[in-house]
Amino acid sequence: MKLLTHNMLTSHVKGVTKGYPLLIKATEVKVNQLDFNPQFVSRMIPKLEWGALVQAAEDLGYRQDLPGELIADYEQNEEFLKKVHRVLLEVEVMEGCLKCPESGREFPITKGIPNMLLNEDDA
Amino acid sequence: MVEPSCSGSSVRFFCTAGNGMETFLTEEVKKKLLAEDVCQIPGKVLFSSSAAIHRVTSLKAAERLFLLLKKDSPLRMPTRCSRAEAASLLQSRLLNRDQWIGAAVTWSRMQRELLATKGLGETGRSQRVGGTEDFAASKKHRSELREPEREEQHGEKPPEKKRMKEDGAEAEIKMESNSFCSKIRLTGDDEASESVENVSFRISCKCSGSVSRSFSSQEVSRMMGAAVSRLLGWKADLKNPLLEVTLHLNDDYCLLGIPLTRLPLANRSYIKTIGLRSTVAWAMASLADIQPGFSVVDPMCGVGTILIEAAQEHQDACFLGVDIDDGQLQRANDNVLFAHLGKSIQLLKASSMGLPLLSGTVDAVVCDLPFGRKFGSNTNMAADLPLILWEMERILCPGGTLVVLLSPQLSCLLKKLLTQEPAGPALEQKAEPQTVAASCLSSSSPPDHQLHSQDRRLAAGLQQRQPPRRSSLKHQATFRVSLGAIDALIQKYVKT
Repeated sequence: MKLLTHNMLTSHVKGVTKGYPLLIKATEVKVNQLDFNPQFVSRMIPKLEWGALVQAAEDLGYRQDLPGELIADYEQNEEFLKKVHRVLLEVEVMEGCLKCPESGREFPITKGIPNMLLNEDDA
Repeated sequence: MVEPSCSGSSVRFFCTAGNGMETFLTEEVKKKLLAEDVCQIPGKVLFSSSAAIHRVTSLKAAERLFLLLKKDSPLRMPTRCSRAEAASLLQSRLLNRDQWIGAAVTWSRMQRELLATKGLGETGRSQRVGGTEDFAASKKHRSELREPEREEQHGEKPPEKKRMKEDGAEAEIKMESNSFCSKIRLTGDDEASESVENVSFRISCKCSGSVSRSFSSQEVSRMMGAAVSRLLGWKADLKNPLLEVTLHLNDDYCLLGIPLTRLPLANRSYIKTIGLRSTVAWAMASLADIQPGFSVVDPMCGVGTILIEAAQEHQDACFLGVDIDDGQLQRANDNVLFAHLGKSIQLLKASSMGLPLLSGTVDAVVCDLPFGRKFGSNTNMAADLPLILWEMERILCPGGTLVVLLSPQLSCLLKKLLTQEPAGPALEQKAEPQTVAASCLSSSSPPDHQLHSQDRRLAAGLQQRQPPRRSSLKHQATFRVSLGAIDALIQKYVKT
């Protein structure tokens, strides 16, 4: 699971009102070298929940020095975009789990694929 | 944008396409190859392009690619026509020495260009000879070649009986079999007349309509083969020919072509486990209007075919495949890695009826809703459809696109779900959605009043799970496509 995906995920446990963002508990994290595409990263940034991304990166120990608030004019800032590229696309949680911040329900991540399936009684 | 081929001149091609795929292919050749004189006939698209051959072989909506040798108006055999008369008619209409030699030379040049782009250092064999050998050796893969041809015939929708007959008569002529001439001088660099001697060939003919009432495909192949041998001095070789010439005769046209690739273009080299037909998956992705930076979700991704076709075409978007089944996800994961698309496609295990995604965050949703024999499933799609649809609509952002593939029955149900008014209190009768759905599916064309009552009960069933609402999805287009044995519908919606 890349942090790009994590940024889209929310808890859908029944009755939960604040299920976002999910907490990450990682036991295995992999970093893949990927081609840096500044246009792609700049286009993704406005769609992100910035705070959730920075928090997730922090939890995994890959925050670098990314600011808590999104900076202005990031399109021109290649160094910044490279950092975002790294946390968004290169860092990947292979094993671990995602935890619903409200209910505490845990969703396992196995071989990089989160299992967000709920039991009958959770849904 | 489009690189010209070595010669720079425009070449006329045709592609076969599955039933319903012709319009997608027409758009594709215009857009990617800047094709001219594009002509669409059932099951085929003819076009001229000067694009490099490797661009032409990268077409996604096509089944097979041919060099066009000749297209002509239909052959009208006089009634009670003798074999000799028929043979002479075929010869005068379809055999033109310069045209055939020109086509053979062009074909040969394209084979070399294809081989050159395929990778120069491959096993160090000589390119020029390798090209011809490669093609010739490939003829051993006849079984692979035949299957798609059959599908094409389905695409043309001949009556059931005739279809069977044609399949059986997949024209192969038993002429005096010349052993394969190992030294083929078909270089194309020299004078054309010199370079295409000793070509071994085979004519594969498909006849339908009035011609087929006088002569079988086999007979026509034999007559043509004999005439070609006489006129050009080429040698017929049924087993291992250098050149295969296909001839389609029907009431609408005569079409002569030479296949340019041994495997159909629809066989994707980058897909390991095949799910949905790749051409249809590509067509769905093309309808989703994917732009750079888009996030695209397939809530029932299976082995990931649609996402792979989409990600191949759109490097600057991110894709999320969701499925409930571990086996499917595993195969999807293998497919993603095999296609080297791990950077753009992510996978997630979840139910399409409860997506763990924020509302209004997704730019496009693509989905092949499981139906038909393959999924003689425990889940009842018709009963689940309202909730699945609700989820897809919820995650889409305003202006986002939904492209779904479904059976005609589900398609009709979907349309009704989306056009119905929010159910009033008068309709709030209890009903089991399961039984409603079952009865809707079992009768393929129920009378109107019956449908209406089903609708009301379905609406009531819907209410048990979610508040009444009016859908924000606006219908854009519907396309009927063939999946081989069955037809399915692609529907496109935009969230308003």
